[in-house]
Amino acid sequence: MKGKLTIDDNAGTVGSAALSVASLFFIAIMIIAFTANPVAIGTDVGERAPDVEGKAYNGTSWVEFDFESYFDTTWEEGNTSGEWVAIIFMDTDCPYCQQSASSQSQWASTYSSNNPNWNGPHVNFLASATELDIQGHETSRAEIQEFRSDYNHNFPYIDDIDQDNMKEWGIPGTPNYFLIQPDGIIAWVSDNTNEDLEDAIIRLTPRDGA
Amino acid sequence: MVPDLLDNLLVAAYLIPTLIGLVLVAPFGKTLGDKLAGRFEIMDTERGRITAGLQLITFFGFAVSAQTFWISSKISEGGNFCSSSAVFNCDDLIGNAELNVDPIFGLSWGMIGMVIFAFLLFMVLVLKNEPNGEYTERFINLGSLITASGILVILLLVSYEVQEGKICLYCTTAHIANIAALIGFLRLRRLHDDKSAWNAK
Repeated sequence: MKGKLTIDDNAGTVGSAALSVASLFFIAIMIIAFTANPVAIGTDVGERAPDVEGKAYNGTSWVEFDFESYFDTTWEEGNTSGEWVAIIFMDTDCPYCQQSASSQSQWASTYSSNNPNWNGPHVNFLASATELDIQGHETSRAEIQEFRSDYNHNFPYIDDIDQDNMKEWGIPGTPNYFLIQPDGIIAWVSDNTNEDLEDAIIRLTPRDGA
Repeated sequence: MVPDLLDNLLVAAYLIPTLIGLVLVAPFGKTLGDKLAGRFEIMDTERGRITAGLQLITFFGFAVSAQTFWISSKISEGGNFCSSSAVFNCDDLIGNAELNVDPIFGLSWGMIGMVIFAFLLFMVLVLKNEPNGEYTERFINLGSLITASGILVILLLVSYEVQEGKICLYCTTAHIANIAALIGFLRLRRLHDDKSAWNAK
């Protein structure tokens, strides 16, 4: 069998340069891999919660909402002083959201630092109010304010009528709940579970003296 | 105060060699090259001076890109790295999940920078060791094209900085490295057209 061999005068130079650069790249990647442990942003348990943007109604006016201000990235598991976040994705015209709204006001007052009978961390409740693409579900800021007032909710309602947050979080329908640790990592998602938000708070949050 | 100082020192560790590289590839870098010629033989010729400058620029461009990739990974863990000042704040840019990746493939800008500068460094090493090889013209043209395309990416990233009202010094150092590399490759291209200057000993 005869083979055709060619001489490449540059092969040594190219190979040596490629080897040097590949080694450099490999070393850099290994250093990054061993010294960093990146956490993905997403809506599954263990992922960092995506941002929630828009104006929020606080009971008196619509103000710019700062989701990040709810989190303390230095929080460590088991620390009872960190505040947790329960976010509810809802639509004021959704019957299931209306049915569960009374429970939400009760949970917000029960799992609060103002409740002397609760020995767990404070849970900040938030609602992201959207407008589902269903006939008869047209909404407005006035309707959101009215809903909040009707159910005696004292937590912020974020205007998501344009569905930006809903799309960012990949919300399939309403109501949809997330329980988020004080460091911004999602601890519990209501999808595909029979457990409700209250049970999740009791099960997952740390207690004083426990 | 101490973290501020350390942060600035770290940026300086990448920026100063990049600027030295920029001086070496620039037409006025001959003075510096002549001073260094006694110590480094490669500085004797203009081609040698430009390739040495490019080697510095691409190496530190690679290093600062790796640093930004590392910072974005650390921030995603929940830590903070360089948010000491309201304006010079890379955490808000490198830590922004929407802005720290390219809009098409979602790849980290830091990782893209690492790949690009590593490839540029590879081409510079080949050009330095085999200046009259069969890849010379191809690599000079490719280097010019890649770094010129990098200007568009820089404009996009600067628009993010303007939008956020923040400046990321690590990113700016990588941008300077790209511009300096473009100048170097364009000067090599011009030099390569003049065979006697290219082969001068």
